[in-house]
Amino acid sequence: MSLNLHSLRALRGPNRWADVAMIELRVGWRQAGPDEVDERLLELVSELAERGVDAERDRPVPGGCTDVSAWLLARVIAALQSTTGVGVDRMAIGATRDRLIRRIAVEYHEEAVARAAVHLALDWVDHPATVKLDLARRLEELEGLSLRRQLGPSTQAIVDAARRRRIYACRLNEGNLVQLGQGARLRRIWASETSACGAIAETIAQDKELTKTLLSAAGIPVPSGLVVSHASAAWSAALEVGLPVVVKPRDGNQGRGVSVNLDTRSAVITACERALTEGDEALVEHYIAGDDHRLLVVGNRLIAAARREPPCIVGDGEHTVFELVAIANEDPRRGEDHATVLSKLLLDDLAREVLTEQHLGPDDIPLPGQVVRLRHNANLSTGGSAVDVTDEVHPEVAARAVEAARIVGLDVSGIDIVASDITRPLEVSGGAVVEVNAAPGLRMHLSPSIGRPRDVGAAIIDSLFPNGDDGRIPIVAVTGTNGKTTTVRCIANLLRNGGRRVGLATTEGIFVDDDLVDSGDCSGPNSARAVLAHPEVEAAVLETARGGILREGLGFDWCDVAVVTNIGAGDHLGLSDVETVRELVDVKSTVLRRLMPGGVAVLNAEDPLVVDLAATCRGSVIYFARHADAPALVEHLSSGGQAIYCDEGTIWMAEGRRRRPLALAAELPSTHGARVGFQLQNLMAAAAAGWALRVPDAVLRQGLLSFSGASVVAPARFEVVEHQGRTFIFDYGHNADALRALVEAVDCWPSLHRSIVYTAAGDRRDEDILEQARIIGDHFDRVYLYEDQCRRGRSEGAVVGLMREGLALAGRVRQVIHGSGERAVIEQALGDTAPGELLLCQVDQVASALGWIDDWLVAHGGARLRPRAA
Amino acid sequence: MEILRVLVLSGPNIWANFPVLEATVDIGRFEDHPSNTLAGFNERLVAWLPTLAEHHCSVGAPGGFLERLRDGTYFGHILEHVTIELQSLAGAPVEFGRARETSRRGVYRVVVEYESEALGRAALEVGRQLLLAAAYNEPLDLEAQLGSLREIGERTLLGPGTRSIVNAAKSRGIAALRLNDRNLVQLGTGIHQRRIWTAETDATSSVAEAIAQDKQLTRCLLRQVGVPVPEGRTVSDAEDAWAAAQEIGVPVVVKPRSANHGRGVSIELSDRDSVLCAHEIAAAEGAGVVVERYVRGLQHRVLVVNRKVVAAARGDAELVTGDGVHSIEELVAMENGEPLRGESDQLPLGPLVLDDIALEMMERQGHTRTSVPDSGRRVVLHLNGDLTADVTDAVHPMVASRCVLAAETVGLDIAGVDVVAEDIGRPLEAQGGAVVEVNASPALLMHIRPVSGPPRPVGDAIVDALFPQGKPARIPIIAVSGTTGRAGTVELLKVLLEASRRSYAVASSRGLFLRERRIAEGDRTDAFSARRILLSPFAEGAIFEVDPQGVLESGLGFHQCDVAVITSLRSASARHSRVGDRDREIKAVRAPLDVVLPNGTGVLCADDPEVCELSRYNRGRLVYFGQSLDNPLLRAHLDQQGAAVSIERGQLVIASGGHIRPLCAVDGITKRHRHRRGFRLLTALSAVAAAWAFGLNEDVLSSALAAPESTRELLAPSVPERRSSPELSSTVRP
Repeated sequence: MSLNLHSLRALRGPNRWADVAMIELRVGWRQAGPDEVDERLLELVSELAERGVDAERDRPVPGGCTDVSAWLLARVIAALQSTTGVGVDRMAIGATRDRLIRRIAVEYHEEAVARAAVHLALDWVDHPATVKLDLARRLEELEGLSLRRQLGPSTQAIVDAARRRRIYACRLNEGNLVQLGQGARLRRIWASETSACGAIAETIAQDKELTKTLLSAAGIPVPSGLVVSHASAAWSAALEVGLPVVVKPRDGNQGRGVSVNLDTRSAVITACERALTEGDEALVEHYIAGDDHRLLVVGNRLIAAARREPPCIVGDGEHTVFELVAIANEDPRRGEDHATVLSKLLLDDLAREVLTEQHLGPDDIPLPGQVVRLRHNANLSTGGSAVDVTDEVHPEVAARAVEAARIVGLDVSGIDIVASDITRPLEVSGGAVVEVNAAPGLRMHLSPSIGRPRDVGAAIIDSLFPNGDDGRIPIVAVTGTNGKTTTVRCIANLLRNGGRRVGLATTEGIFVDDDLVDSGDCSGPNSARAVLAHPEVEAAVLETARGGILREGLGFDWCDVAVVTNIGAGDHLGLSDVETVRELVDVKSTVLRRLMPGGVAVLNAEDPLVVDLAATCRGSVIYFARHADAPALVEHLSSGGQAIYCDEGTIWMAEGRRRRPLALAAELPSTHGARVGFQLQNLMAAAAAGWALRVPDAVLRQGLLSFSGASVVAPARFEVVEHQGRTFIFDYGHNADALRALVEAVDCWPSLHRSIVYTAAGDRRDEDILEQARIIGDHFDRVYLYEDQCRRGRSEGAVVGLMREGLALAGRVRQVIHGSGERAVIEQALGDTAPGELLLCQVDQVASALGWIDDWLVAHGGARLRPRAA
Repeated sequence: MEILRVLVLSGPNIWANFPVLEATVDIGRFEDHPSNTLAGFNERLVAWLPTLAEHHCSVGAPGGFLERLRDGTYFGHILEHVTIELQSLAGAPVEFGRARETSRRGVYRVVVEYESEALGRAALEVGRQLLLAAAYNEPLDLEAQLGSLREIGERTLLGPGTRSIVNAAKSRGIAALRLNDRNLVQLGTGIHQRRIWTAETDATSSVAEAIAQDKQLTRCLLRQVGVPVPEGRTVSDAEDAWAAAQEIGVPVVVKPRSANHGRGVSIELSDRDSVLCAHEIAAAEGAGVVVERYVRGLQHRVLVVNRKVVAAARGDAELVTGDGVHSIEELVAMENGEPLRGESDQLPLGPLVLDDIALEMMERQGHTRTSVPDSGRRVVLHLNGDLTADVTDAVHPMVASRCVLAAETVGLDIAGVDVVAEDIGRPLEAQGGAVVEVNASPALLMHIRPVSGPPRPVGDAIVDALFPQGKPARIPIIAVSGTTGRAGTVELLKVLLEASRRSYAVASSRGLFLRERRIAEGDRTDAFSARRILLSPFAEGAIFEVDPQGVLESGLGFHQCDVAVITSLRSASARHSRVGDRDREIKAVRAPLDVVLPNGTGVLCADDPEVCELSRYNRGRLVYFGQSLDNPLLRAHLDQQGAAVSIERGQLVIASGGHIRPLCAVDGITKRHRHRRGFRLLTALSAVAAAWAFGLNEDVLSSALAAPESTRELLAPSVPERRSSPELSSTVRP
């Protein structure tokens, strides 16, 4: 038995399955079905169990015994990911039209790791024997991949703290660069460095001598020191600053090339030579006896303090130094990298020198209980350990540390203090600030070797986002079958009128106010993320189409307002394993699930499926309806809810029993004198969104009134052109619901004869295309058909064939004309239309078609619809 | 001729309100030989330093100094002019100088303005040698001497960009304090301070700088927000570079992923071989290689400061024009001899370099380094040469808004945005132009000294960004000077000001106090201690005790003050011999009064006639203090609507605007404060006058004078500190 992988994609944001990132695969079983237990997978489970990874325990199969094998596969993928040390547990199984194909979704932390885990599981099923031989290496690879890709522990701690405060976090590269917050309120961090960290401050911190000069000028105790550029000058410098001394590179970090407590001429000179291999200049500093402490200052507060102990081993009278180091390194807490609590002990040249000072060599056996030092300095990266002493720091010491940070100018800094007793003021203990570090490692505070961990991530987030600021901009997400583009455009218009710089992502592109940021269909998650990454955007309005949700999940974490225009009979059914309207509702409900607590859902009261969604949302609801008697609306108002509806030509804003007029339907330009019902619906949805964001009534009204013309209203969204007695209407709707709404509107234009140019999208189901043809045939006299870009996988003539089939069943149609190519057919239809007649043009390639149409109108004595593109 | 000693007066001093060197020079036997008596001296001197002809001297017109030379002047005076000229030639455009005889025959005080102490000192020494060589008609390798002076200048003077910012700050009266011998400068004082380091400010984010360093990341971020960028990607090896070129479509640019100043960048590559070759050049820079669409057009640099485009420059191709005689190599050497070209960051044009890219470019034009192009034939070496032409006014508003967005997206407050476009006056989108790079800490020279077009005030833009109009740049300062009674005044003043709930830093003969902490003990009346306070980001205001002796030796540590108190000029006779002469001492005491702000106040002791004399130097308001309202001078001052603090009927009173307001019984004050070292009744009067002049109202003063004292133990520093450091012993100037 083996499995076919049909597709594999990463749902990077909240998705139909869960609110976390999931990897989704479509897998086909060949012989045995997904219901039968797969022996090979079981074998992998037991193989993993031997390595201490449990892929089965505590996980009952949901819903009895169906899809056993699919569940097993999901668990294996989860378990494989968990071998890297980052546990995942969400998973889901979905059916497809095909009995032998399942959709499997498994949570992930690192996309690359998840993908590798999927391939490892499938390879196992294909070639268990080969993979088994190689399993250890492949698991190691997986772990390596995870280590390389995952955020560093410092960054992860900050990101976790941000998420706890509902601050949006979005990784910007494969390294540790993360965007926190959104739009005009965004900040960034790169490891433990924030965007508030000054470049100058960092440069000052790098220059230890300059740092000390500045600190000492402000009365902060620092050890006296001198810079030398040649080892021969080191000894006289040492005598001047006072023995014993420390010698270190002037611009070094991580403790490389540092030697401490030197009091002989030869030791000073040797140390200086070593320091000078790390840079051009070395620092000879008075040695201050005491322990190394690292104080973490964030903003103007001391957040954590650790006493750092140099790496050492304790003799047992049996093992050599060499063996003792090896034994210590077997401690699983000691890792090769910064991700673990402790690092490996090194027995390198530097360690050997330190041993020599203690009259020991690697092969000597220290006495039982003898403490043997391997380094003088206590950096974690060379195997040192850290003891949390935050609660012991004397307030005067903390004050000096905070002052030091401020003088250098760092928002997050690690202040190194040497003091024999951190519980007493430096002036008393004779301690001193020896260094100020930008981008300090947080590991020793997050997971100290001894003592209480400190939530330094939260402290950094508090300094970046003070006073409970969540760094969010208002986000309106609009989903639904029809009318999304017009609705988002209108909402953007309302918010702009309210004085906000609006980022808008639509099927027509991304706009920031009037600036086109990106063109093409921008209703997916990438576009949402782009809007949220724009540093000028103060409010985001995001068209959130079904395709993007299915493909990649949502591009935002939470929204403030979720608008569902309608669902109707649905569209695109049969695509992406969405077979029924119910399933479609499920997908769309992802948006409502991600409504912020306290957010507002704007729902269509006249669409029963939309009304059902109200139950799933945790915020409040504003309904909109074209009629005052929609049952959901009536019920909502009677329980004190909010709604916008149209009654007797007036648009009302209602709250419980009270209502106030917003505008007259007929005075809103885009409804063409209240004739276009679906536009009215879109405008009410938009107004409700504006209301939810507390846009004042007057601004709402002004925004609706100014929403007209092709430049403001979406192009080809019911554009009406009166041309020499003829009525041309350009639109874009491509499903049965849209068509019904259209013909309802067209019915309001008196005309003897109606024609339509139409093509159905080939990726829709046959039954949907037939239905569209029937609606058209019932309402138009002449129908022009064409096939062009929109065949979408069907063979030539197939779409037109289906359309003809449907038209044949319809009542009104008398003439069906089949042309080749969108442009030719539109131009023919425009030319055929006589005065008094109406032509509805369903354009497909919007931008280019509107261009030719403009050209045609001008050539025939008309005016352009819009200015010619630059 | 011998230079006996050099005093570095690093702040306002008895000679000038800016830093000067005061050299004591014994001209020895030349006292008997003024310039006109030494045959050929003047001619030799002017032949070496022809620019001396520009010096006005006391005559007041160019050539003035030459006139004095011809008429006969002394070596001290000549050394002054020569030292100034040598500093100018080495890059420090200083002007001020003085030469004065002393009481010792043949010994002069030669005073010269300086920018860099090291350069000033070196110029004095070279000047001395030059004078001797001219006098004795000995040879002198002036070029070598000037060369070493220039080298000192390069090392210790501010770079041109930083200088333009510092000058802009000074023109707004904002103090500039150098923090190291490079370009790190503090603008403003105390809590209001900001920092710059070349074209970086303390608001320049280091994360943003790291982003700008990564071209690929920058491009992704810019594209995301709709800034036009050339499409491209990083490549793994040479073959991948060619693959990328084909995906993107030729011609392409190949460049290192992170590098600056166009190093390793090859452009307009269309065939496989040149892409592979360019990959090798770029890869040599390390950190990966990027291949991107070649954007046709000219290189532009748009300078964005705080969300505004403040300058733009256009780069033109680097080329040489053939003359039918010289080889390209020779033509390049000739061009590099032009005065505008050189390695120095003070020059607008860099030298032409025949690097791999130039050779590749020449090869495509059918040349090698030794070929001789026909007369008039132009050979392009680099398509993107130095940015030389100012085009600020031509930038289309849409281009400007894209550049601002680019800077903002990367997160930089100051950014040099590189734009390639055929015409910067049209939107980028309309011509396929693009933003190709965003640079942190951009060079400013091209905007300050463009080869063509007007210079742009970029320094002012940066200072305005750091200190928006209305934002304070300085902390208030009270300076207490005089020959006696200073320390007591300062101490009582501190007590009075504390009553107003403001915390003031103090530098006095009793130590250095900051944030309720004594950060240093001992006499801290010197310029260095005052500067320590101004450097502190915690100082909200300062009280400085000024010792006249310190002023003579190192100048003032501050360049302006709000209130200058002169306690007395009396009883200084014992020190006359040390100070030198009475006139210098008075000037030294007066120094703080000379730098009182126009809206500040001079507080003078009315009981000391010599102090009263100083009132004519006071630019601000005048407040007298004296023991009796019957003092005729004080009375006259009050009659002219002046203000004074004095004693009437056993009460300490403030007399102002015809009103006399008693504050507190004199007995009470004496009783409460007499334990203070140096307390006298005049001390109380001067302190109250200063506090009142400073803005404390009568009620606060009255209750402060009556309040019982708080006694607090102050922590003293335990680690011995070094008294001075080279970095901080730099200049304060207006």
